[in-house]
Amino acid sequence: MLTENTSNNTKTVTNGIFSPGSDNLPAAPDRPKAANQHLRRNPPIAGEAEAIAKAQAGDAPSFEMLYSLHKRRVYSLCLRMLGNVAEAEDLTQEAFLQLYRKIGTFRGDSAFSTWLHRLAVNVVLMHLRKKGLPQVSLEETLEPSQEDGPRKDIGARDLMLSGSIDRVTLERAVEDLPPGYRLVFVLHDVEGYEHNEIADMLECSIGNSKSQLHKARMKLRDLLRSGQRKEVTQK
Amino acid sequence: MTAETRIAKPVQTCEEFQAQLPEMFESGEEFHGLDHLQTCENCAALVRDLEYIAQQAKLLLPLRDPSPVVWENIQHKIAGNNGK
Repeated sequence: MLTENTSNNTKTVTNGIFSPGSDNLPAAPDRPKAANQHLRRNPPIAGEAEAIAKAQAGDAPSFEMLYSLHKRRVYSLCLRMLGNVAEAEDLTQEAFLQLYRKIGTFRGDSAFSTWLHRLAVNVVLMHLRKKGLPQVSLEETLEPSQEDGPRKDIGARDLMLSGSIDRVTLERAVEDLPPGYRLVFVLHDVEGYEHNEIADMLECSIGNSKSQLHKARMKLRDLLRSGQRKEVTQK
Repeated sequence: MTAETRIAKPVQTCEEFQAQLPEMFESGEEFHGLDHLQTCENCAALVRDLEYIAQQAKLLLPLRDPSPVVWENIQHKIAGNNGK
């Protein structure tokens, strides 16, 4: 039985409600952003380096160990980007098959998890392009339709979100984002990629990536506030 | 600063402020002291909410494991055609 990776589970959730600032890795004001992101995206994993070396030499149990260590994060990445369980499982499978074929080319220039997750992102984007989804093919069509978009917030003062979102609610709201918004939001805010990396991956401009991210957050705010209003009405 | 120049200073509307928000957020520069945020409760609440959403997104955990079928399929494909 292989050891399950628990090194990713370093984030603090109290009774399902996020406590601002409770995360012990990212967003610490006294730590540079790049260092935060490196730690968040690439937590050190005991035994990984040895498993990589053995898997590169064709050792099957070591490849299984790498699968066990990384399956949850790769699957979560696929699921959040796609919003579909069956597709996410198919592409997790494809990502690890590509890993099997390409692991010999990993030279350790970056953390293995960074390399693998980039491989998985590319698998998902390739799949979306094959499906012909416009939001990842052309910059101008990265824009979701107007009715999906967020509205300007002029004079709509009522509920405040701070301190009130639980993880499940946020996950559901992310699922409800239009695909173009969801891609950029997941890559930037959840996975921690920088705009220049996202622009490279999605073949769009950095400005477009920034704009899409802002619209995604605005749309999420709309979704979360409308959920809160429904709760208030039902009470 | 004279009274005339104070009067002549353009007042930023909510629309103008919100149009600049994407760049302000991503620039990493401090913008909470801007005049508009000090005087507009609505835009201040918007900024707080957007920062809160970004903060909470960073705390999202990996969701769950894929079903065991995924690994079975991977093993099958690797065994069948050496992963190709």
